[in-house]
Amino acid sequence: MVMFSQLRRFNLIDGHGRRAKLMDLAIALLDGDYPPVTRLFFLDQKNKKRSLQWSQVKKLDLKSRSITVRDLESAPSESTDSMAKEVLLGDDVLDALVLDLQNRRATRANDLWLEQDGNEFVLRAADTSFGAFLRRLTRGRYGHVARSALYDWKYIEFLRGDPDAVRNGEGYHLRVARLPPGEIARLTDMLPYLHASELITLLPDDKAVDTLEVLSPQRQLQVFEELEEDQAIAILILMAPDIAADLLGRLPTKLMRQYLNKLPETQSERLIELLGYPEDAVGGIMTNDVIFARASLTVAEALETLREPLKKPDFVFIIYVVDNLKARRVRGSISLRNLITADAELRLEEVMDPYLSTLNPLSSASEAAYRVIDSHVAALPVVNDDGRLLGIVTVDAAIAQVAPANWRSQAPRVFS
Amino acid sequence: MKKRGTVEGLEPMHAVEENNLPLKPRTMGSGLRVNLRGRSVQLRGLRRPPTGILRWLAILGPGLIATSAGNDAGGIATYSQAGAKFGYDLIWVMVILTVSFAVVQEMCARLGAATGRGLLDLIRERFGIAWALFAVSVVLIANGGVTVSEFVGIGAAMELMGVSKYIAIPLGALLIWYLVIFGTYGKVEKILLLMTLVFFAYPVAAFMARPDWGEVARGAFVPTFRADPAYIFIIVGLLGTTITPYIQIFQQSSLVEKGVARRHYGPERIDAYVGAIFSNLMSVSMIIATAATLYVVGQRDISSAADAARALEPVVGSAAKILFGIGLLGATLLAGAVLPLATAYAVSEAIGAPKGVNLDFRRGKVFFSLFTALIVVGATLALIPNVPVMQLLVGVQVLNGILLPIILVFILLLINDKRLTGDLKNTRRNNVLAVSTLILITTAVVVMLGTQLLELFGVQLSQ
Repeated sequence: MVMFSQLRRFNLIDGHGRRAKLMDLAIALLDGDYPPVTRLFFLDQKNKKRSLQWSQVKKLDLKSRSITVRDLESAPSESTDSMAKEVLLGDDVLDALVLDLQNRRATRANDLWLEQDGNEFVLRAADTSFGAFLRRLTRGRYGHVARSALYDWKYIEFLRGDPDAVRNGEGYHLRVARLPPGEIARLTDMLPYLHASELITLLPDDKAVDTLEVLSPQRQLQVFEELEEDQAIAILILMAPDIAADLLGRLPTKLMRQYLNKLPETQSERLIELLGYPEDAVGGIMTNDVIFARASLTVAEALETLREPLKKPDFVFIIYVVDNLKARRVRGSISLRNLITADAELRLEEVMDPYLSTLNPLSSASEAAYRVIDSHVAALPVVNDDGRLLGIVTVDAAIAQVAPANWRSQAPRVFS
Repeated sequence: MKKRGTVEGLEPMHAVEENNLPLKPRTMGSGLRVNLRGRSVQLRGLRRPPTGILRWLAILGPGLIATSAGNDAGGIATYSQAGAKFGYDLIWVMVILTVSFAVVQEMCARLGAATGRGLLDLIRERFGIAWALFAVSVVLIANGGVTVSEFVGIGAAMELMGVSKYIAIPLGALLIWYLVIFGTYGKVEKILLLMTLVFFAYPVAAFMARPDWGEVARGAFVPTFRADPAYIFIIVGLLGTTITPYIQIFQQSSLVEKGVARRHYGPERIDAYVGAIFSNLMSVSMIIATAATLYVVGQRDISSAADAARALEPVVGSAAKILFGIGLLGATLLAGAVLPLATAYAVSEAIGAPKGVNLDFRRGKVFFSLFTALIVVGATLALIPNVPVMQLLVGVQVLNGILLPIILVFILLLINDKRLTGDLKNTRRNNVLAVSTLILITTAVVVMLGTQLLELFGVQLSQ
């Protein structure tokens, strides 16, 4: 109905004929898809800042470009500080970096489209066109509003560039969390690191983990360091151990020790074990979150005991068969599909594949990576000299190891 | 028993489990011993940042490149002109400028680390679209001018080697455009940087020309003022070429891209300082070398690249022309690529358009159009016949000097905004130094414009 750049120049008139200069509008971001305007700020005759509830507005006249309110004199006065607490359309939202989820891109809100919705006056869309520049520079004389350049506010995520904003409980749509992690990661690559951290902070933990896992190592570290300790630990618990170990290994030693001490015992033991291997060795790229079962179990028993473990780790396609849980010596492997379809009475050692290519934890990481990729299986097990199963190198980890760094990173790099 | 390497995967697992093959000997780093949960563990998988000298080499990146890029065609022309025209008299300006330059560069680096955003981006967010477009125009004019001067430099460098500029400039433009768009630019950048190493001949030349060191010291520490429009003109040129708007934008963006977070900013300031000092040492040695070779023999005006090259004669003799040409070519090709790139990047960022060389044209229309337009316009203007090369190069630096205060005001306002920079806000000392720089530059610009106006109305200030 009206663009904010035009509304901003409307005259403010009250029932007694007094006039004032409109400064800005406050909106309530918490309320639904289209945030309603809650208050208007204006400068009175003496150039003092004052505010009125939007409900005091009697008439919004587009023809005469005026906003009629009941009484300007009764309005309470405001200070710069009290205004800073509100989310202001002009100061905060206009020109801000926003995520346009329809186009999967980060862009800027060049203008804002406001609309009457029942009793409320709501922020309906963002204009990202260049026409909006023209409109604002020529005070609305030129710069026709093109419907096609208006993006529904429902699919816009407004970011403030401050990870703390999320912790203060300010409103977000969170529709961005519906995207697959890879797409969220690509979006964060287009953002400055503080905006990216804000985005990760507001995602649910499991989504945040999936997104962090696919970010470039440098971005991952930047974002992670901005997180609060609670969320950081929650994320480390959910993260695949190999990625978590790489991340911890790049943190400052003090911070790394602090996190390792605060993580649950099993988790922290896992990470310490992985951190013990040099990064260019198989141990440096393996994950030790692996599913295994005793060879003497029947298929039915195995399915029963594996139900819980299968819920957690990322990698579940192959189950390793070991002699006993203590020595954990590998006897063979069985794919999840073969396990489910196998005769329930048979024992695992009868249905497993006993021929197994294995990796040594101390051999070269890149050679091992090529072996994993060439073998065309989802993962190869890592076994020490005693035959003990230590972990697996997944095909994902192998590709990450051999792919050139510039192919992996999606961030636009120009200066370095 | 067969060797494990051949058996593995060919025999059932229970058949291989009994072997104990010798482990392939592997040298492992000692890693870091850390006390965790009450026991000591050896961690070898840590990616520690390098220590010692490597640490400093890793930090010295963007700042050094950004500031060295300032010694481009325009820089060389201005410093040579200053040395030839006024001998050692202007070195004091460079001494003061080193402090100012370091302060300004450090502020930009800090702004980049504190916000993760570029300069034009922040102007847009803080001051709105009108100011942002104003800043964009300033940057486009300043950088457009410098781009023209780089192509002029490419032409001049190739002419020293006997290639016509009408062939060299279009070829250079095409080469730069191709390399950046089709992405082998990263490798080429290193070659170009290597070519600019030729300019290390300047400090050597400064010594071998046996300047009068007493005079040099006097020029460095005793400010001299002259009511000569040409003198003031060159001072503004020196300001403009040393503290260039484009170098500030470059410094900030490259810090953002390097991924320096606010909590790790501390050591990075060294980079900004070292870059500024190093770059100005080079500049001063250019002034000394030209002063000691040209000024003393009475050649007071440099009108071509060949003249400027003569400053290197004490070191390399008759090869001066060729060597100077190689160095100039490297410097100008480098700046000719980086400059349109940084400009297109910063402007796209400010107007919210996708940016980056790895986009396809459909998604990066604005970015690629700007980049291409800057190169095409720059190269075309540089092709205009009979341009007085040296005057044009110096003139562009003066234009930069005039536009510089505008950018500086924005930087100062942004760096003092606590909502943006938080703990990395400017300290009082920083503000004093930066504001003094601003006053110094503004005064110089106003005085210069004043004297030029007086000249225009026929008032003679110089003899």
